[in-house]
Amino acid sequence: MSRKNRVSEHIHRDVSEFLIEEADLLDAGQLREWLDLLTDDVTYRMPVRVTVDREAEPAEDGGYTHFNDDRHTLGMRVERLHTKFAWAEEPRSRTRHFVSNIRVEPGEGNGEVRVKSNLLLYRTRGDSPRHDLLSAERHDVLRQVNGSWKLAQRTILLDQSTVGTHNLAVFL
Amino acid sequence: MIHAGWRAEALVDDTHNALEQGLLPASILSDPDIYELEKERIFGRAWVFLAHESEIANPGDYVVRYIVDDSFIVVRDDNGQVQVLFNSCRHRGMQVCRTEKGRGATFVCPYHGWTYRNDGQLIGVPHEKQIYDDEELNKEDIRLISLPRVESHEGWIFGNLDPGAPSLPEYLGDLRWYLRLYTHKSDAGLEVIGTPQRWVVLANWKLGASNFIGDGYHTSTTHLSTVHTGQIVGRPDFLLDGVQVTAGIGGLGFRRLPKELASTRGFPSHIMDSLRRNAPEQVRIVEDGLFPSHGTVFPNLSFLPAASVLKPGDPPVPYFTLRLWRPISPVEIEIWSWFLIERDAPPQLKEASHKALVISFGSSGMLEQDDTENWSSITRAASGQMARRQYFNYRMGLKHLQPMTDWPGPGTAYPLDYTEANERAFFRTWLDYMSRRPSDNGER
Repeated sequence: MSRKNRVSEHIHRDVSEFLIEEADLLDAGQLREWLDLLTDDVTYRMPVRVTVDREAEPAEDGGYTHFNDDRHTLGMRVERLHTKFAWAEEPRSRTRHFVSNIRVEPGEGNGEVRVKSNLLLYRTRGDSPRHDLLSAERHDVLRQVNGSWKLAQRTILLDQSTVGTHNLAVFL
Repeated sequence: MIHAGWRAEALVDDTHNALEQGLLPASILSDPDIYELEKERIFGRAWVFLAHESEIANPGDYVVRYIVDDSFIVVRDDNGQVQVLFNSCRHRGMQVCRTEKGRGATFVCPYHGWTYRNDGQLIGVPHEKQIYDDEELNKEDIRLISLPRVESHEGWIFGNLDPGAPSLPEYLGDLRWYLRLYTHKSDAGLEVIGTPQRWVVLANWKLGASNFIGDGYHTSTTHLSTVHTGQIVGRPDFLLDGVQVTAGIGGLGFRRLPKELASTRGFPSHIMDSLRRNAPEQVRIVEDGLFPSHGTVFPNLSFLPAASVLKPGDPPVPYFTLRLWRPISPVEIEIWSWFLIERDAPPQLKEASHKALVISFGSSGMLEQDDTENWSSITRAASGQMARRQYFNYRMGLKHLQPMTDWPGPGTAYPLDYTEANERAFFRTWLDYMSRRPSDNGER
């Protein structure tokens, strides 16, 4: 990211605060509130990563994903977790989203910025001291809607081709 | 070949006796000696799914696949033949392919540079003339080791470590008749989209395989949440009214739907027309309102077509997945989940089907999330001393449920998908393999 492509300090601060508040909602299990941070046309994707020769990179597989969601399907995921029958998260996992290395550029659309961030997601279940650790780079588009920032696009590039947790019942 | 201890043999005998009463010893889901015996007697002899032909459509295309611990390069060579090559250099054993997929004419060992053509033939040895005498090394005689048996059924490539294994059609047996319902919906056939998902679960491999072959019963509790949110249309016990069929090396379940829905399930009409042409006998089942659903090919390949709502009020969108339960240890699996669809499905349907599958099955699938939670929890419970006293109840339909007499297909059909007939059949097949000593079929 070149210096000239940077956004103003206050936008950078706003975006950082947005991502940190978002992580707080996810870790606190306030998922309906998390949904309010998304635009109606949000896309939420996590491509399958695949190990290929250096020259054949990027090693994002164009065809298949771990998440390929829109506002409706994300809404269904969240509502499911509120049914009391979503055994994968009943009781809830403990998660901690560590967000860092936030990089912000002007976006293409009106009121949009492009944001890259690093994510470390720590997860435990029940009384087991064993933890799962997922590391990823997130490529987001944030958009200002009526004066508030909303997440309009997220692509999660996991740093694993074989995912090291037993399910993705949590959001990254 | 290592022979696992007497304890495993005793557990196999115990399983024999228990299964006759519809019971299953918990220990076989965690015992390390059982696992050693499974590697030798099941995964060393049974046909294991490797890849779909569409994943290696062109000469040079390859994917790396596994039979338990062994890595194989599944490659279409320059002559268009599918080769399955043990991923280990003949010189020092280095893995000659360290990517998961790609395209190439050769595989070069990073250690000393031995180079193999994509049919496995050694074609290059650095400094060959200076360092080797003809008697010491003749490239013509050296190839990457081929998997002893490779056969394909309707584009599904299977491999077998046992040179004396029955042919794949013989192995699949009557299950082949039913697989046409999945593979012949279109003249164009199925294609894999992208690369399969892979993820790890602390669970025994038999739990996934036996769930998919015949546990219609779990859906009304395990997957209740997805009925509440409207993702699945119908009653929570949607598999109760169905048919379960034990056939050949596996089995499957059918779900009853309104006739019109069972025979289209969101597919354009040309796709069902081709099923009528390609599977005229089988299609009668579908036209009677029975939708072919979950199933398993022993030992560890399962398949599932189903449908999911993507947006409240919209009709469900169909999807199809193949999944492999790759054993990693007695208590750990790596799940592989493929997304397949008819090649000639409209692009919008392909995109919608991708979404429908991802929110239902696979790493983030809202149904599979709860399955993996169950299987890892069962595996933990089966890992202690008490597992020796715990016999699981597999008695549903054991005494009173009679097979159907008017069923149009081969195998044994039951007029309910809520029966444990297929799961018992799965473990009988397991016992059959586990009880056969290597000498029984001419192995060393």
